[in-house]
Parts: sequence; C-alpha cells; structure tokens
Amino acid sequence: MLEIARVTLQNEMDLILANKRAMVLAELAGFSIGSQTTFATAVSEVSRSAIERCNDGCLTLGVNDERKRDKYLFAAIKESGPRFIENENIANAQRLADKFTIVNTADGNTLSLDFFIPGSAKLTAPVIESWKTHFINEPPFSPYEEIKRKNEQLQLVASKLLESESQYKTLTNSLPINIFSLNLQQEIVYANEWLTSYSGCTIESINRSKWQNVIHPDDYKNFSNLLKRATVSESTPIKIQSRLKQFASDKYLWHLVSLSPIKDDKQNIVYWIGFLVDINAEKIVEETLQENRILSEKQSQFRQKEKDLQEDITELNRSNTELSQFAYIASHDLQEPLRKMILYSDYLVNKNADKLDARSVDYLKNMNHASYRMRTLIEDILSFSQVNNKELLLQPLDLNVVIQQSIADYEMVITESKAIISTEVLPIIQADPSLIQQLFNNIISNALKYSREAVPPIISINAKNENDEVTITISDNGIGFEEKYLDKIFTLFQRLHGKQAYSGNGLGLAICRKIVQLHNGSIYAKSAVNEGSTFFIKLPIKNG
Amino acid sequence: MSNPDHYKILIADDDKEDLFLIEEALTDLGHGAKYVFNGIEVLEYLEQCATLPCVIILDLNMPKLNGTETLQTLKKDARFEHIPVLIYSTSINPFEKEKCARLGAKDYVAKPITHHAILTTMEYFISFIKD
Repeated sequence: MLEIARVTLQNEMDLILANKRAMVLAELAGFSIGSQTTFATAVSEVSRSAIERCNDGCLTLGVNDERKRDKYLFAAIKESGPRFIENENIANAQRLADKFTIVNTADGNTLSLDFFIPGSAKLTAPVIESWKTHFINEPPFSPYEEIKRKNEQLQLVASKLLESESQYKTLTNSLPINIFSLNLQQEIVYANEWLTSYSGCTIESINRSKWQNVIHPDDYKNFSNLLKRATVSESTPIKIQSRLKQFASDKYLWHLVSLSPIKDDKQNIVYWIGFLVDINAEKIVEETLQENRILSEKQSQFRQKEKDLQEDITELNRSNTELSQFAYIASHDLQEPLRKMILYSDYLVNKNADKLDARSVDYLKNMNHASYRMRTLIEDILSFSQVNNKELLLQPLDLNVVIQQSIADYEMVITESKAIISTEVLPIIQADPSLIQQLFNNIISNALKYSREAVPPIISINAKNENDEVTITISDNGIGFEEKYLDKIFTLFQRLHGKQAYSGNGLGLAICRKIVQLHNGSIYAKSAVNEGSTFFIKLPIKNG
Repeated sequence: MSNPDHYKILIADDDKEDLFLIEEALTDLGHGAKYVFNGIEVLEYLEQCATLPCVIILDLNMPKLNGTETLQTLKKDARFEHIPVLIYSTSINPFEKEKCARLGAKDYVAKPITHHAILTTMEYFISFIKD
C-alpha cells in the first residue's frame, strides 16, 4: 500500500477537500473524466458517512500494489468507534468500486475502496512517488485547507516533542544522579525521580522550604548563596559541595551541586540546569586523608617536642651531674687542708700551750672553732652530693633497727638532755640502709637539737601502713617553726635559727628530702612556734 | 723498736704533714713503723720484707694505687690476705666506710683532728702488734 495523500474528516469542508483530492489523484492515475468522477463520488460517499458517524475519521488515498501487475487506486477510511453500519452512502460507494472491504479491529474499523488503474502494469514506483510530491507541492485548495495543513504540521511537531520529552524523562530517570532545572525564581521546574526518591520530599515541598528540608543546616547558607548567585548573570557552571539528607538512611551525605545557566539567543539566562552527584565516599576519603595529615603533623610536632625535652633532660642531667661532682670534689679536697688547720691548731693549744701566752691560746681556740664549723659544712655538702650520686642499694630494712641505731648514735646527747624517745613497732621496708640511717639520724638529731630551753625533749615515733606505703611520723616538743617557712626548711642552706643558739648549716633536711625522693617517697612537716614539730616521712614498703 | 724489714706496722699515706705527726706520736709511744707513699710501694715492701707486718694502715686517696685498690689486691693474695688492713682516711663518709668493709678492711679509722685523738689512734694501731 503506497500512501499518497491524507485528509482528516471532521466537517463539510473536509468532504469538499476529500472530493477534490480524489479527483486530482484519479486524474494523475490517468482515469477518464467519467472514471475520475466515479472515484471522487465514491470517496465523497464514504467520507460523508464517516463525518456523519463521528469526527475522528481519516481518509487515506493511495495506490494498492498488492496484486503485482494490476494496481488499484484505493481510498481507505479509518475511524474509531463502533462497526460501520451499512447505509445508503456506503451502499452507493460499494456499487461504484471495483473492490470493497471492511476490516474491524480492536483499534477501530477500516473501510477500503479499490479502483483499477488502466495500464497500471506500466506504472512505476517513481511515478507514484511523483504523485506524492504533487500533493505536497500543490498549493492549498482553499484557505480552509491552508489552515488545516498548518494544523496538521503543528500536531506532528507536538507529537514529536511529546515523544522526545518522554524519552528525555526516561533518560534522566535512568541516570544515577539528580538532574533538575530551576527557573529564575529559583524554583524547581523539573527534577528527575532521583530527587524525590532520595529525599523523600516532593518537588513542591522542596520549593516551599527553599530546599531547607533537604540541605544540611550547616551547609544551607552556602547553598542558599548559590541559588542567589544563580539569579545574577553567571556564564560558567557554579559548583559547591553540600550535604543532602537521604530519606532511607536519615543521614546527610555529601553531594556536588552544580548549576549551569541556559541562555536564549540574546544571551539572557532563561533557566538553570543543575545536577547533584553523591560524592560522600570521596569526601570521607578526603576527610580521612586530611585528618591523617593533621594527625601525622601533630605526631611529628609531638616527636620533635619529645626530642627537645629529652635533649633538655639530658642537658639538665649532665649539668646536675657536673654540679654534684664539682660539689663532691670541692668539698672532698677542702677537707684535707682544713683538717690540718684544726689538727695543728689543736697541737698548739693542747701540746704546746705552755710555750704560748694566754691571749695567743685564745686566738688559736677561736681559729680552731671556726675551722670546726667549716668542717661540718664541708662534710654536709659532701654528704649531700654523695646522696645525689649514690647508687641505691635496696634491701629489706628493719626500721626498728634503724631507730635503735640512731638512739645509740646520740646516746650521749639523749642522756645529757634527759630526752625521752618512744617508738611504735615499725615495719620492714625495701630501702638503702645507710641512706635511711642518715635520714633518721638527721631528723632525730634535729629533734634533740631544737629543744626548748630547760624542757627535756620528748620524741615520739609512730608508723601507719597504708596501700603499700608507710608513713612515719616523728613528733617533738621543741621550739618548732612558723609554718610559712615550711617550703624553705627542705632547701639547701636554709637556717631558721641563729648559728650561736643552734649549730648546723641548713643542709640536714635538704639531705633528708633527697634521700626520701631517691626512695620514691615524700617528706613534709607541720609545726607551730614553741609547740614542737612533726615530720611525716612517706616511704614505699616495696621499692623498685 | 723494730728492725729494718721487720716492721710490725706498715703505713701507706702520701700526706707528709700527717706522717709527720704519726711518726712523732708513734715514736713518743715507743714504736716504729714502715712508711710508704702509695699502694705500689706497699706491695713492693711486702714482696721483699723479711717478716710480714702485723697490721697495714692504708690512706684512701693515694697516687698510683689508691687505698681501695691496694686493699682489693691484698685480699686476693693468699700470702697477705690474713694481715688486718685498717683504712685511715679523712673522709668519714658512711658509703666509703661501707665499701671498705665489703672489700675486707678490718676497720675504718677517721683521721684524727686533735692531739689527743692522734695518740688514741696510734695506740689502737699498736694494739694489733703480735709478738
């Protein structure tokens, strides 16, 4: 079947058009004037019937070449709706046609009339094709036909547009990204299904909230600025990164938001095309990398600080060692000549006194006393520096034995001052015997030394075990000291009392503190003037 | 009075000012002693003397071989380890004292600082003499 012309059948005007077309086609086919009229009349009859029955019929004129050699002009009416009903018009057409068929299908009905073309064996395809061109190029037969033709063209374009739009929608919906368009009021005009299925929000609600129901609150300002920028003229695509709430997971995922302007011929922006792409995975990798970088920077800073600190510590240790070695050597070497001064002045006073006058003996005695004081001082400095350098020899040590030794060491002073020393049973601890002995000797000798005039010293020693630690308290009834001096008493060369009244050089308690520190313990005191002092010594029971 | 090479007391001290008073005191008490100035001389004397001394007095701080080194050498030598060794030092440091005792010193005597103490100390040295 070769279609040549087509006429939609809606009103009387179409009937005229159908008749005219049929006449022209019959003429082209070489029909005699009579046969032309017959064909046109038959076409008019069926067309009239179609127009009367409904107004969606369509007449197709063409050449039926199904029978190879013999060709027929055909006129087919296609219409929806009920079956054709035999009426007068159809009956007339049936009489005129060489062949008459009616086909009913679910889509509708087709009525065909065939008229034999004389000499049709010689009719070639190009000729038939030229008839088609004839109809296309033929000027409109009437103003009505002109309008009708334009209408048909418009409908064709519209149907093509519809088809293209549907293809476009199918295409965008199949994409794994969100594509949308915005008008100049920043409203979504179109968005593929992705946006609504991802966000669980309708386009209307997104427009109403100006995207606030989708965009992360922290990113919204940035996003809203992007939309505002889209109202002013921007030629290049503008992009930001923003978090969008996923309905399914109720989580905000990072997306790349891009907007590109679409312009008309005059370069005015007509609307915007945008897309959203999930970049959450990339973002997480990026953030992790960033965090890793910061972490490794911090780590290297930390290592540098640690190194610096280690260097400082090493330097400090070195200078400490040097200082204590210096103190040791200085004090040790000073001892020797000093001892000679004491010894030889003693020889003069005690062996050769009879050879000196009384005044000279007094001078020598004063020299001798001063030398003695210097000797004590040197001994203490030496002992302090030795405590500092000493290697700890930790062993089980019975503190009761230590106290008994101290009492034995100061027996003479104790007897003379009528001192009373009472002591609780003390524990056995892990400690260096000679250092701990020195510690208790110093504390007990202080308690004996700083007694009130004409008041015999009463010293009580108590112990309390707590959490692998023993606290030994040594209380006296001596002169005491103001508590504001508490920090001072444990530092080097701090004397609270005049040399004349009390001997000593301010090193004893500094040595005590050093010994306690070496044992990972602590020492502190409580006191009030004329109310005695209490020293607290905390030592670990198991050291090292 | 001992004959040469038969000294009952051997004293090693490099301090001539000390030795001056020790010698004076020992003489006053009617005794003599062999005086040497360092540990090497102690060992040399012991190697060549006719009879071993009854007591050896060692200063700690001496050149060539100091007191503790000499003490260690003596205590390792079967011929001499029985001879009592007294350490005689200016230092009254308890750690030093502790160390010498560990090394086998019979006693640790602080160098005296009075005429009286010198005499007492010398009497103590003399008390080690066995006929």
